[in-house]
Amino acid sequence: MKSTQSLVLVFLALLFAWAGQVALGFFQVGKLEPILNEETNYTVPPVPSGLAQTGSRVFASQGCLECHSLSVRGPTGSADLARGWGPRRTVPRDYLFREPAWIGASRIGPDLSNIGIRLADANELMLHIWNPRLKKASSTCPPHPWLFDLKVAGPTIEKDALPVPSKEWKQVLPTYQAKALVAYLQSLHSDYSLPEAPLK
Amino acid sequence: MNAPLSSFSKSSLASLILLIGSVSWALLGAGLQVLATLQLLVPSLAYLLPIPWIGYGHLAPLTTFLFTYGWITSGFLGVLLILIPRISGIPFRYGKLLTSAALLWQIAVLIGVAEIIWNGATGLVSLPFSRSVTCLFLASFLILGTGLTRGLGRSWKSGPLLPRLYLLAALLALPLGLGTAEVLLRGGLAPGALQIIAQLVWHSFLHHLWLTPLALVLLFQLLPTLTGRPVGSLSLGLLAWGATIGLGGWIGMSLASEGPVPSWLQSAGVVATILLGVAVWGNGTLLKPLLDGKIEECRRQVALRFLAVSLWSYFVSYAWLAFLAIPGIRQATTFTVVAQATQSLLLFSFYGNALAGAIYALLPASRTVGWPRHPALTIHFWFSTLGIASVASCYAIAGILQGLALNDPGVPMSTIASYLRPFLSIVLAGQIAWWIGQLAFSTLFFATLLKLFNSVAPVAIFPLPRDESAPSLNPAHH
Repeated sequence: MKSTQSLVLVFLALLFAWAGQVALGFFQVGKLEPILNEETNYTVPPVPSGLAQTGSRVFASQGCLECHSLSVRGPTGSADLARGWGPRRTVPRDYLFREPAWIGASRIGPDLSNIGIRLADANELMLHIWNPRLKKASSTCPPHPWLFDLKVAGPTIEKDALPVPSKEWKQVLPTYQAKALVAYLQSLHSDYSLPEAPLK
Repeated sequence: MNAPLSSFSKSSLASLILLIGSVSWALLGAGLQVLATLQLLVPSLAYLLPIPWIGYGHLAPLTTFLFTYGWITSGFLGVLLILIPRISGIPFRYGKLLTSAALLWQIAVLIGVAEIIWNGATGLVSLPFSRSVTCLFLASFLILGTGLTRGLGRSWKSGPLLPRLYLLAALLALPLGLGTAEVLLRGGLAPGALQIIAQLVWHSFLHHLWLTPLALVLLFQLLPTLTGRPVGSLSLGLLAWGATIGLGGWIGMSLASEGPVPSWLQSAGVVATILLGVAVWGNGTLLKPLLDGKIEECRRQVALRFLAVSLWSYFVSYAWLAFLAIPGIRQATTFTVVAQATQSLLLFSFYGNALAGAIYALLPASRTVGWPRHPALTIHFWFSTLGIASVASCYAIAGILQGLALNDPGVPMSTIASYLRPFLSIVLAGQIAWWIGQLAFSTLFFATLLKLFNSVAPVAIFPLPRDESAPSLNPAHH
């Protein structure tokens, strides 16, 4: 086999792998568009806010994807729906406005595709990020105290302060990063119907 | 491989920088890996010592990055810079440029490490660093790859074909895969779910079209040289090569189960993974006979033993991947720690042993140094091998149990975490053993480079029991 022949063969094989997956994938999932919900006059999937977009970066930088997935499977061959991780399976259109889009690596912790439904209250999410063992003593999720500021409390407690016992008269205040992370987690929900994945 | 050493001195500093980087990153990665597993095993540690960069979420992507880009890739490039001019007979030119490129690769790894420590990883599969690090990697590879291709192209007909074919494929796959992944994922060209497809394709390119072909280059070049036997059938080798190159880029899709990846792509990934068995069978048929009846040589020669383990790991890794791709098993084991078992088999056992064998075989030719007959050789082999075996097997069993438990909605997540704990204890012990093995190897490596040993031989030989100690060993120099 000549060197030029080999070079062409290798190039074609690599191109075939790229084109076959990414180009054909583009025609199938890259051209998806949001769906108009005629009852609410909103499009789905919803466009996340700027704060939630920032929060997605915080989510990745804290390494949450090492233990949490972002993809609900089912109904056959998986217990995701039975575990209550979402009202329906996740489909490509759900990732339309998620940038970067991830599915996660492992499930040491639960899937978070619908954490915005399961734990909708911002304060509860904030408390979980500060110290997951406040609500569940056996949690294996690590705390993230570096996403919070400890500030000496004045005559009044600030409205953002977490409802946790203060140490040395200090209140726990979420940083911008913590607020962004909570906004991102709240944006994770798929409680809307899509033609390819209707709500039952 | 017998050309005069002075002809190749221009690339030797570059290869030395890459190999020193590789050994150092492996040591650092091994230590951090132990810390990461400790965090997973004892979650309370994160409460006692809440420091962001030593959390599992930071350390897990950091160690994968260190092992993939720092240890294995850097090491492979280092040994190829020694090997290629020797098999082609064409010495490198522009030594300073190669040295700068080797330094640039190490700087890129260093910046990547600093980024992941301070800012965390990007979350992208096999692309945990920023665009600037990608640019540094590509700039460095442009010079190193051009140097390697030059030695390859002009000597195409003068030696064994298969290592050259695998090298050619790998040299094209890295820039194509990394460059396009960067453009698609961070250039805004891949919307939504297409980003996940692009990540999985890049993951396939990195492992199955870059690292696997490079490891096969070393096996196809060094095993015949060390055993003195030629590779049998070229036609079978070409078939296996074609299957590896044609199917390797598709394997990543079998990692996705439902979700955002179209089902036909997942099926294509499954078919590719199972069909890749043809390539493994072909390469196995060619390489296994080289080791038949060579047990005594494997017992004595360090390089040969590491390469033999690497060859067996190649079979096991791809058989394991094919097993995981079987429908039913794939659904059950997606999102479990079986991914870590696969990583252990590929990175540590297959690529890692090929790299160790190549360093033992090629370093004396590059630096006019020799290896001592020291117990550290035995420690390196046994601690690494037993460490990897325990890590891979425990992750594999734990992952299957985790998958079965995840598919039973009656089992709470906290119970699943407790299932993993006993296995993680053994994994931790295995990782510590691997670290000790690397420590022994790096001690030998640096002591050999500094010529600290009195009696050395150009071929690394395991120290045998006292009564068998070999008077035939030829000390090369003092």
